[in-house]
Amino acid sequence: MNKNNPAGSVLVIGGGITGMQSAIDLAESGFYVYLVEETSAIGGKMAQLDKTFPTNDCAM
Amino acid sequence: MAEFEPKIVAFLCNWCAYAGADLAGVSRMQYPSNLRTVRVMCSGRVDPAFVVKALKEGCDGVLVAG
Amino acid sequence: MDKCIACGACTKKCPGKKPDEYNEGIISRKAIYVPYPQAVPLKYAIDPEICLYLQKGKCGTCKKVCPTGAINYDDKEEQVTLKVGSVIVTAGFKAFNPAKLDQYQHGTLPNVVTSLEFERYLSAGGPTAGHIKRPSDGKEPRKIAWLQCVGSRDINKCDNEYCSSVCCMYAIKEAVIAREHLGKDCRPAIFFMDLRSHGKEFEKYYNRAKADGVRFIRSRVHSITEIDQSGTLDLRYVTESGDIMNETFDMVVLSIGMEAPDSIMDLAGTLGIELNQYHFVKTDDLSPVATSKPGIYVAGVAQGCKDIPQSVMEASAAACSAGISLARARGSLVREKIFPPEKQITGQEPRIGVFVCNCGVNIGGIADVPAVVEYAKTLPGVTYAEENLFSCSQDTQDKMVEVIREQNLNRVVVAACTPRTHEPLFQETLRNANLNPYLFEMANIRNQCTWVHSDNKEIATRKAKNLVSMSVSRARLLEAVPALSVNVDKSALVVGGGVAGMTAALSLANQGFPATIVEKTEELGGAARDIHKTWQGQDVQKFLKDLISKVENHPDINVMINAEITGASGFVGNFETMIAAGGNTSIVRHGATIIATGGQASETDEYLLGKNPNVTRWHDLEHNPDKLKKAESVVFIQCVGSRDEKRPYCSRICCTASIKQAILAKDLNPGADVYVLYRDIRTFGDREVLYKEARNKGVIFIRYSLENKPVVQEVEGGLEVLVFDPVLQKKLAIQADLVNLATAIVPHDNEKLASLYKLSMNEDKFFMEAHAKLRPVDFATDGLFLCGLAHYPKPIEENIAQAMAAASRAATILSKPSIQVSPLVSQINAEKCIGCGLCVSICPFGAIELEEIEGKGKRAKNISASCKGCGLCASSCPQKAIDMLHFRDEQIVAAVIAAA
Repeated sequence: MNKNNPAGSVLVIGGGITGMQSAIDLAESGFYVYLVEETSAIGGKMAQLDKTFPTNDCAM
Repeated sequence: MAEFEPKIVAFLCNWCAYAGADLAGVSRMQYPSNLRTVRVMCSGRVDPAFVVKALKEGCDGVLVAG
Repeated sequence: MDKCIACGACTKKCPGKKPDEYNEGIISRKAIYVPYPQAVPLKYAIDPEICLYLQKGKCGTCKKVCPTGAINYDDKEEQVTLKVGSVIVTAGFKAFNPAKLDQYQHGTLPNVVTSLEFERYLSAGGPTAGHIKRPSDGKEPRKIAWLQCVGSRDINKCDNEYCSSVCCMYAIKEAVIAREHLGKDCRPAIFFMDLRSHGKEFEKYYNRAKADGVRFIRSRVHSITEIDQSGTLDLRYVTESGDIMNETFDMVVLSIGMEAPDSIMDLAGTLGIELNQYHFVKTDDLSPVATSKPGIYVAGVAQGCKDIPQSVMEASAAACSAGISLARARGSLVREKIFPPEKQITGQEPRIGVFVCNCGVNIGGIADVPAVVEYAKTLPGVTYAEENLFSCSQDTQDKMVEVIREQNLNRVVVAACTPRTHEPLFQETLRNANLNPYLFEMANIRNQCTWVHSDNKEIATRKAKNLVSMSVSRARLLEAVPALSVNVDKSALVVGGGVAGMTAALSLANQGFPATIVEKTEELGGAARDIHKTWQGQDVQKFLKDLISKVENHPDINVMINAEITGASGFVGNFETMIAAGGNTSIVRHGATIIATGGQASETDEYLLGKNPNVTRWHDLEHNPDKLKKAESVVFIQCVGSRDEKRPYCSRICCTASIKQAILAKDLNPGADVYVLYRDIRTFGDREVLYKEARNKGVIFIRYSLENKPVVQEVEGGLEVLVFDPVLQKKLAIQADLVNLATAIVPHDNEKLASLYKLSMNEDKFFMEAHAKLRPVDFATDGLFLCGLAHYPKPIEENIAQAMAAASRAATILSKPSIQVSPLVSQINAEKCIGCGLCVSICPFGAIELEEIEGKGKRAKNISASCKGCGLCASSCPQKAIDMLHFRDEQIVAAVIAAA
């Protein structure tokens, strides 16, 4: 990578809640994002949870 | 006489209850067909006057979910 | 994939079967499947391992039944080369597999389940539809036990010496929710070593659970056995005082910890990044999301065990780091879509086009679509109606654009699936046809009609017609809603000049966004001035000096000291803040606001602090290593002013800080007696190694309870600390040269700032974020962000990550010349408004203000950029002076009338 002329894109490895947040921030601030997820849906472990503490909000 | 079939209007919040009604479909849950959904962006949008209006127009029940 | 309409016909007929990973293998799934109904993307995928066609060349059923021809067996894995400027690793974790721990008998005893399996039992979308049943006989359990630290804090059996950080809280949550499901008869019990509720609002959750009947038993579990045919379990455990106890339970839940995923080794090798001894990605405390390789960042549990808010913060922090390194290339690879100009339709009679989708057989196979089309043609205002096989397919979209133009339509109704997934697509079609996107309405005749009334075609058809009629009635009254965009001032204001504030300002300035730091004292540095080392031993003072120097010398950072905020107005992209400094008041304009006002160690008069010079707090000892060196006996007292009635929260950092100092005391004088008097040791995550090190070095840990606090008294020759030891079951008198108190961390007085910017605070006076899990650094009002101790007590590495996260969130605004906000906002009619201010107080987003109108008094005024369109104001206005664009009273009522 040329330090003075970097590519305006970012590879995010993992489509769980963390990867999705990184991807959203980057895309919203002008970078092209490749979000790579090994399963057939994004969402990660959080999608398996019923509710979340401490608000008992639905995880989905 | 035919059995009483109530007409129910449901004000559903786009972000939760409406999504829930969609999911019931994805899961192919079967339920009576009396419900008519009016989508709102938040159940806070539901003016009590809408509820009165629905009843006045002949609805038998109103559901607000959000 | 583009052709799949997620109708599910394929999965219904698929003969392949496999344990369903999403449901932890409790039930099975098919070879062609979606992981769960809400999956994104909602597209069916084939599992080649069990697909009969791919394995044996037989079957092919899914291809036969797929109505859109979306099945492609020839799809192969391919290698793709991407050119990217940066990489972020968010590889997550693997749940600990308890099979290797034989005392728990998971996999042998049916009623021993993991916490993740229990999540699925609790879930309405799970294998039992949210009804908790014990696996052995399907009966509702009454007594459920949670066993903590399964696969965590354990070096004897599983080598995971770290604490997984989240299990205590999720176990409490599962116990509370289980009780909600099963009723008062349900008696949950949590068997634990130290209860770790060290996050924001966690301690209160723990207290509520205790009050609601969840039992907490401090113990070590010995074994589980089945006592009868039905599968009821006997739990044998050892209490804190050494007694061996037995209790029977219907179900036992293992609170399994987190481990690095197996794939991380390969990934780390490929990327060339270092891992730590637990195979989590190695970082250091002062650059918490940077890996060992420049340009590659890490966030979430891939870096170490943590909860969701912390993961989300790090995710934004990593995005910030990537944004800094690629600042020059911002915008170089993204393009904005351009649409043709919009046609004016104001004053035109409605010409509504209705497109009824068959969705293959999903709608067409149940409802009589041609009849719905004919019915639509009879509705007032409808000038065109047709049916489509798939309204969403690209060719139909193209055709729809033509029809709209040819038929000169000015409103469009699509009767198909749900607007939640497809409204944006059709709105784009309208825009391509020169129409405003809000002249569109959907009738949900699939998800909320044919799919849920599939057993009665007549009823489904009748309801579909009625739904179309409701949509048409509403469509008649729809108006064009102009896009709403606001210009953005590309600079930020950061309130607070501590580590969090400076990090946030520097993170923005390094991306080219100027920042002003407002510091109320005479110097930068904040609470970090008292900290010498991070928990992993990095030099904080050197870091702080460097940080201050970078901030002060940065051309894009303006530092104002001895400064106070005296006024604030504006909204996202356009704030105006009045700052008084050095006798002058100036106005700063800024596009984003970051609140980083920090916190401090609280004062106390407990335990002789202030009365005896050898009673100190926090870092007093670190400032005086000599004092520590000379002491023969040192006592640390934890939770001084934390976790009590007045401050029912845990200060999160004190256990680690005191243990660090206890180790230092032992290092300086190995012969010294060092005691830590604690309530629960909360060395979460990898910090657990410090706890172990302290015990190995001979630091003595004695637990005390809130009801039986230690007593510090002056005696001849020094201090005496009296404490009840629950292990020995007797009262001890410890002679101490030094007593150090971990006093609670409290926020600074933020009342005024909160009222100026309309920010909410919790009961403990910490600022409240927009969402505890998903928006941990955003305020509810757009354009305002939060970081550092003003949010909650946290160690320096978390403060730095959170500050970078706040900068990242701010950059999503500052990086654009203008931002598009949803135009579906509140609209106040100033003629009808009487200025009562109810809407101002009720608005959750600070999107309405009162304005003085000459001769009329106060009138409400919209701040549309901050409005989220919830409509609370409209439904509450006693004067009916407020309406919502696109959700006007008359538009909603029209649909109601059509339904009735």
